[in-house]
Amino acid sequence: MTKLLATTALASLMATSAFATEITVGAANVSSYLDPGRDHSNVGSQFYYNAFDTLIAKNHDTTDTEWQPGLATEWKLIEPTIMELKLREGVKFHNGADMTADDVVFSLNRMYQADFPPYQVRARDRLENFEKAEKVDDLTVRIHAKRPEPLWETLLNLQQVMIIPEDYTKGLAGDPDKLEHDDFEAFSLKPVGTGPYKVSEFVPGETVVWERFDDFWGEKAPLDKVTVRHMPETASRITALKTGEADIVTNIAPDQLQLIENDPDMKAAGSATALFHVMIMNVNHPKLKDARIRQALSLAIDRDTLNEALWGGKAVVPSTHTLEEFGELYQPELTTFEYNPEKARELLKEAGYDGFELTYDTAPGYYTNGLLAAQAIMEMWAEVGINGKVNVQDKWSGNSPDMMTRNWSNPMYFADPFGSFGVMWAPNGPSESEGRFNTDEDYAKSWEQFRYSGDVELRRAAYAELMERIKQDPPVLPLYRPYESWAMKTNVNWAPKPGHIPYVLDFRAGSISFN
Amino acid sequence: MLTYVLRTLLRMAITLFLIVTLVFFATRLSGNPVDFVLGEGITKEDRALLIAYYGLDSSIGTQYWRYLSSVFSGEFGLSFLERRPVSEIVLERAWPSLKLLLSAVCFTLIVSIPLGILAAIYRTSIIGSVVMVIAFLGYAVPSFIIGILLVLIFAYTLNWLPVIGDGTALHFIMPTLAISGTLVAAITRFTRNAMLDVLSQDYMRTARAKGLPEWIVILKHGLRNASITLLSVVGLQIASLAAAGSVVVESIFAWPGIGDLLVRSAILRDYPVLQFGVLSVAVAVIAINAAVDIAYAFADPRIRLAKG
Amino acid sequence: MTDATHHLSSPRNTATKTFRIPIWSDANWIVRIALLIGLILVVTALTAPWLAPFDPNAQSLISRLRPPIGFDRYKDGFYFGTDELGRDIFSRCIYGLRLTFALALAGAVIGLLIGGTLGLMAGIIGGMFEEIVMGLVDAQIAIPFTLIALLILAAMGSSLDVMILVLGVYGWEQYTRIVRGEVKKLIQMPFVEAARAAGATPARIAVRHILPNVVSPIVVQFTLNFSNIVILESTLSFLGLGVQPPTATLGSMVGIGRDYLPTAPWIVLAPAMVILLLTFAVQILGDWLRDKADVRLRSR
Repeated sequence: MTKLLATTALASLMATSAFATEITVGAANVSSYLDPGRDHSNVGSQFYYNAFDTLIAKNHDTTDTEWQPGLATEWKLIEPTIMELKLREGVKFHNGADMTADDVVFSLNRMYQADFPPYQVRARDRLENFEKAEKVDDLTVRIHAKRPEPLWETLLNLQQVMIIPEDYTKGLAGDPDKLEHDDFEAFSLKPVGTGPYKVSEFVPGETVVWERFDDFWGEKAPLDKVTVRHMPETASRITALKTGEADIVTNIAPDQLQLIENDPDMKAAGSATALFHVMIMNVNHPKLKDARIRQALSLAIDRDTLNEALWGGKAVVPSTHTLEEFGELYQPELTTFEYNPEKARELLKEAGYDGFELTYDTAPGYYTNGLLAAQAIMEMWAEVGINGKVNVQDKWSGNSPDMMTRNWSNPMYFADPFGSFGVMWAPNGPSESEGRFNTDEDYAKSWEQFRYSGDVELRRAAYAELMERIKQDPPVLPLYRPYESWAMKTNVNWAPKPGHIPYVLDFRAGSISFN
Repeated sequence: MLTYVLRTLLRMAITLFLIVTLVFFATRLSGNPVDFVLGEGITKEDRALLIAYYGLDSSIGTQYWRYLSSVFSGEFGLSFLERRPVSEIVLERAWPSLKLLLSAVCFTLIVSIPLGILAAIYRTSIIGSVVMVIAFLGYAVPSFIIGILLVLIFAYTLNWLPVIGDGTALHFIMPTLAISGTLVAAITRFTRNAMLDVLSQDYMRTARAKGLPEWIVILKHGLRNASITLLSVVGLQIASLAAAGSVVVESIFAWPGIGDLLVRSAILRDYPVLQFGVLSVAVAVIAINAAVDIAYAFADPRIRLAKG
Repeated sequence: MTDATHHLSSPRNTATKTFRIPIWSDANWIVRIALLIGLILVVTALTAPWLAPFDPNAQSLISRLRPPIGFDRYKDGFYFGTDELGRDIFSRCIYGLRLTFALALAGAVIGLLIGGTLGLMAGIIGGMFEEIVMGLVDAQIAIPFTLIALLILAAMGSSLDVMILVLGVYGWEQYTRIVRGEVKKLIQMPFVEAARAAGATPARIAVRHILPNVVSPIVVQFTLNFSNIVILESTLSFLGLGVQPPTATLGSMVGIGRDYLPTAPWIVLAPAMVILLLTFAVQILGDWLRDKADVRLRSR
């Protein structure tokens, strides 16, 4: 391990000395604000890992779960609901201040005991079980959970609980000694963290500039400066690689890949991203109340053909709502979703489907291939006799009682079924609260066991029960893990790491090199 | 004269009030920003929380009143999305837009006026027809097609021109060409027609009778008569350029302009940005039009009478 | 987008002009070409269901992105190639032309009716009514139209009916300006005053004396507006606000297909050529009509 580390260090050192260490990234979307706490968007997740740290870090080179010391060097449960963490010494924030237990407690409690609405909203779906953080001494903190927590490390590795400086934040607006909401508003424009890069310039929606932070506690950053620029138009983004205006560009659709691969100046890197493009169905829509109709909608979709035709076979079509990254909770043996047009026809007949129009909402360009898949799905529905219609709009319609079906993405916010399926489909969670999903006591009981049980086997069994429920009365169909690609100049070696949440632009040591 | 100026100013004020009101209610009718900004998959309570956070929980009348008073106090509020003052956001975008606009206007005038004169002089011959055909092409192709084709030819294939942003003079070439299409067509056509007007005037007959070559006469009398009118045409074009034509061009060339900002904030229902952005563009357009009107009235008393 | 000649040019001391429909023999060769193109396009649009070899919305996911005739991997019968869902571009162009033509025509006519009526009334009635109408005109000019379209579509949903409404609203203010300007000029002319002295009602004056005089500038504005609407429709599709897929219009084909310009350019270039021909023919014809209708040029 040490040897490996040394080699990577040497490699990055050589890269640093011998080659250009300033790069430009052309991004299809750039965040409008930079605050890891309030953000959980696919656009935002690109930007936090370079500038912020979590208490507990993770090995991102593998989909296996390997926790590593982060801003905390050791952690142990001192009671079933209390975790005590020793903080790393000598950690500095980008503004020069030392990181102390106060900063950690401040960062965690801004989420655990949130009273700033954007934090409240974000904390509710994943940090509900955490009561508070408290300081023991300058380098020791304790975190109190409400109930025993099986996912301690996972939930301390979240983007939302990255550590930010207390005094700096409080001093941003109004009274420098008091915490006001305006402080958080201001922070999202001038973010400060402990990561290997500091954000030296931020123009919302347009530009993010990272510069190497020389006082970083870990291995120094391999690049002097990274400029991320907003380049919305696909043709221009690819062209920017050719003209040298960009070294890496994001969001290359599968249909563009051949262009990149046929060009000696460019190459592409990609992966089946840790999220599902899904179709959601409103179980409470008067015309969709009959589960058989929804089962038919799901059974009629030939996801493998979608994969072959639109993704060149590079996407991953799941048999159930599960991801390799879930480790022991990965359950590919379950068959919750399948393609069976015969059965779809039968079910439609049984349910007495009378040919009413089924709308499928989609945003025009947000999901790669989203609009194409929507149109192809309409054709597949027509095959079994469903009268479908695509409805393109930017509005989120998932909370509207009129919504029948629509596309969405279900990201892996952290590597556990709770961080993917669980965030969206918990009892009283967002889907139920938006009125398009119902749960009952049985469901809640299974969910309870899946979420809080300390026994992996019990969790697996409970999750299988939940999947069976979803199969019988489907509110969702995961279409596939999309294959997302980045293009870069031939001399750049970069690829998305398997252990990250989706879309992270990781330029830390060992993540990028040049030849 | 003073009454005329005052009337013009009053009319401006009324128009602006209309715009502010129309935009305010149109945006409210068109949807709630929570459903666009971060409304995906949040619980009902959280949605209510965010609506209150954005100050959208009070009645529409109260909101309108609050907005009107904010317009007069010069406090236009924070963007829902970026949480910084909208004036700062719009200002950031105004200069790049203005630069592109000026570049397009200069290019257009340099190209269109000679073309228009040519088309007028040779209106009966093939030269005139060819000129007009070329000019019409500007109307005939969507500017994003021209833009992307330019990018693919001059940047992707030939690697002659940069494609991203407004860094150097070279960066202006392609966006200017892409954005100027309709403008060139309009001004060429206008110039031609204005020149034709001049051709039918009595003094042209006199001049021609004196044996002066036609082109000298046209340049001398025609351009002078047409110049103010030309200005007003350009003034009228600014509104459409500010968003209609330019949003696509800004998007293609990653140009941080106001068209892109307006359309994005409209799509996401970022009301404060949208309201202030539209207001700024409207003020600019109305001010230019009013200035042109007043200048025109000075030059031509008949207009003053007609308008007064 | 504006042709301000008529609004701003100095009053002409001409008598009542009658609008005369020009004929083939008046036309030079460019106009004849434009006439021919226009005729072909109209016939194509009218006979689309018979002309198109395939259902424009029929997909074939296994034969996506096939190039046009004469290239490698050409799929037999699909002359212009296939698009990103394997649909026949030739058929989509034909149907797209039909719908785009209808949308642009409907849009331009609605704009003319709204704008023309308001302009006529403002010019004749005057007073407070005129002030309000002209205030609205100024407001419309100062608000970028894309935003108005966007807000209407957002509030009312994006169906074909709403799209026609949006395109119909586009350009009304130009007609209003033109018509009102002409009316104001004409109303002081001796022949109109004479008619008024002779006891003619305002409506009669409008129909008999004023309408014939504004036909020429309106025709020009109409053709201009028609082309602008075709372009506007494609811009709305670029922004994801156009006619709902899978329905083919020329605008949606170029607007949605543009991402394929580097890799499968035929998806965009075929409909773009049709747009070019359509707007071009309409423009040339409009300009020709204007010249022909212009008394001063005719007399020379």
